[in-house]
Amino acid sequence: MTLRLLTLFLALLFLTAPAADAQEPFPARPITLVAPFPPGGVADLTARPVAAAMEKVLKNPVVVVNKTGAAGAVGMSFVANSKPDGYTLLLALSSISIIPEADKLFNRTPAYNMTQLSPIALISADPTILVVAADRPWKSVKEFVEDAKRRPGEISFSSSGVYGTLHMATEMLSHAGGIKLKHVPFGGAGPALTAILGGHVDALASGPAVVLPHIKAGKLRPLAGWGAKRVAALPDLPTFKELGYDIEFYIWAGVFAPTGTPAPVLKALRDAVRRAVEDPDFKGAMAKLETPIAYMDAPEFQKFWDKDARMLADAIKRVGRIEEKK
Amino acid sequence: MAETFQNLYLGFSVALTPTVLFYAFVGCVIGTLVGVLPGVGPLAGISLLLPATFGLNATNAIVLLAGIYYGAMYGGSTTSILMRIPGEAASVMTCIDGYEMTKKGRAGPALAIAAVGSYIAGTLSIVGLMFLAPPLASFALRFGPPEYFALLVLGLLVLAYMSSGSMPKALAMAALGLLLGMIGIDTMTGFFRFHYGLVELGDGIGVVPVAVGLFGISEILLTAGLPTPPAVHKPKLRELLPSRQEWRDSAAPIGRGTLLGFLIGIIPGSAHIISSFVSYALERRLSKHPERFGQGAVEGVAGPESANNSATSGAFVPMLALGVPSGPIPAVMLAAMMVHGISPGPFLITQQPELFWGFIASMYVGNVVLLILNLPLVGLFVNLLRIPYPFLYPAILVFCVLGVYAVNQSVVDVWIMAIMGALGYLLRKFEFDTAPIVLGVILAPMLEMALRQSLAMSGGNYAIFFSRPIAATMLLVGLALLLLSLRPLLARGADWRRSVGLEEKRALGEENP
Repeated sequence: MTLRLLTLFLALLFLTAPAADAQEPFPARPITLVAPFPPGGVADLTARPVAAAMEKVLKNPVVVVNKTGAAGAVGMSFVANSKPDGYTLLLALSSISIIPEADKLFNRTPAYNMTQLSPIALISADPTILVVAADRPWKSVKEFVEDAKRRPGEISFSSSGVYGTLHMATEMLSHAGGIKLKHVPFGGAGPALTAILGGHVDALASGPAVVLPHIKAGKLRPLAGWGAKRVAALPDLPTFKELGYDIEFYIWAGVFAPTGTPAPVLKALRDAVRRAVEDPDFKGAMAKLETPIAYMDAPEFQKFWDKDARMLADAIKRVGRIEEKK
Repeated sequence: MAETFQNLYLGFSVALTPTVLFYAFVGCVIGTLVGVLPGVGPLAGISLLLPATFGLNATNAIVLLAGIYYGAMYGGSTTSILMRIPGEAASVMTCIDGYEMTKKGRAGPALAIAAVGSYIAGTLSIVGLMFLAPPLASFALRFGPPEYFALLVLGLLVLAYMSSGSMPKALAMAALGLLLGMIGIDTMTGFFRFHYGLVELGDGIGVVPVAVGLFGISEILLTAGLPTPPAVHKPKLRELLPSRQEWRDSAAPIGRGTLLGFLIGIIPGSAHIISSFVSYALERRLSKHPERFGQGAVEGVAGPESANNSATSGAFVPMLALGVPSGPIPAVMLAAMMVHGISPGPFLITQQPELFWGFIASMYVGNVVLLILNLPLVGLFVNLLRIPYPFLYPAILVFCVLGVYAVNQSVVDVWIMAIMGALGYLLRKFEFDTAPIVLGVILAPMLEMALRQSLAMSGGNYAIFFSRPIAATMLLVGLALLLLSLRPLLARGADWRRSVGLEEKRALGEENP
């Protein structure tokens, strides 16, 4: 183990050395996989087993770096603007499509454009579920929405950050249900979960994996899921579609490289991820996290991504610009 | 009680098996290394090693990772004391008096007190973790944004006691630090602020490059500028041990630091850093000779070093008892548990008694290991000071650059460190104290976030800070501290700070943000 740390430091030393000739086989040095959210959230929990499995295939260290801030914009624009050599990769969630749209909304220079990133593979897709603190009165979506209509802007929810995935999912519900909720953004899904467990907010949209133990413990109550199908771990939980709300939202996790990465390198990375998701350790890890693997190779993933991005862009336009209360 | 001891017996039967013992030892060694290296903190160390633990069983993995966490708190003091370079953010306060002690030839005692203080704090706080985890954890969860804001305001009051020099200068430096802390993306609206087109500045200025630059690099520059190089210390063996007076002076600060660190540590957030600041301020406040602080007071080492160690045990309380990620480091450890198929949650202690009690027992063992590891190292580290400056300082510079680069693999961070080094050199030439800048950089983003989250919760109503009992109590304590500091002004006694009035003005500004 100390050896790993040592190799890493040696590797860092060599990073500053002039790049070897273009013929060098890929990969010749450690790869950085940027997770744009803090440790403990969905991106982080997916990135780590992916990195471990890719490491076995590529025979080179794959290091997960949490570059956090602004609902993931910092880490994503970091990778988008990195050297396209395949050594800096991104493990992004659905919010990758949200941030440039939100930037447009504010008439500002986008932190990055989606064209700056090329998909490598989709790893997982998990519908978010709506949970409320167990000591709150609502037992169903119906009660929740009715109460929210009675007291607009009173019921609060936490999120992983402004325009982040958890925020967008909740705003979709607000729009569909014609309600207004109070938004308290946090710096990631972990702190957002802590806030609802502490009773500081009333509701939270979250990936099932992180909230399941707390649902089992009776601290949180699930009301509905955003998926087209019910969540396997919670078979009694209805979907919003079943309840008549036409909304669908998935937290998906995919691997991206900066656009302009040479084709042979991209191919090596695609192969690596395809073999990584087959890895029994990886499968075991994802099963323990209760996150379904939904692997898609680059061409397929590109189509999925385009569709998802369009859907989110529409949602953002509907939600509009979020002004802070003065 | 009897049940606890029975459980503890179970725990030790797990912790003393050769494999668990081995991983606890490896964790402690890596932790010490991670702590000693400037820049690389426990979070980076644990994150790097997490994938390596996938092959281990859950208990071994957690024991290893926890060893790194509390081991780093031992190691962090070393470079702070010897070279004025904080090994990680929680050791910033140790730089001030620890390095002054080194200059006076008391590096050995400073290191020894730091190690012993860490050991006592580490061990006592595990007792707290063992008996109080479940009730304390639910208390900790009541710390929402308003409570965190009140705690940070208390932390800001610390700024007023940081400097031994001129109060206006200290306040100017604190303001500079707070301004630097505003750089980066506005977390509530997503707007970029003061980034001047640099993506790397989008996430703000890191504490590590600022601290290493302002403390370490500036010190090297200052020494290089001396007409005659300072004499090389040749520590004798008996000077390695603290004197009886130093032991006596340290006892109470270690005790207070332990309690304070544990209580602050259980609060979700990066509380272990704050705990060392608050402990330093408390010791200075209680000291009969506050003028000694900043001049090599052993209390200024003993208190904060104990506090940051017991804060790590405190941080495990919400993590183990409720499965709540109480900070970035516990979050990684929770991830490690989930990867091993253990769902962290309120049932962890009952469902995984081997894991929980094995973990507790291994922390007792780990702290003993660290003490045994660190005390002999004192002699070794102190001998580093024998190296003549023309060789020692370039080597330190290399370590600083490497360490700061390694945290985010960012060259911008190295530049920030260099600029802060130059700035620190200039400021110290003009006799400004640079510590308040670092505190400002650390506190500004947390304070802003907590304030704006609180206001988002209340819909813009400031009454939220006074209607919630914990927040209100803490703000009242802050007010009481302020009033206490006014007392010397009224009493017109022999005052060690003549400009207390300024403090009052500043604080009034804080009460009405």
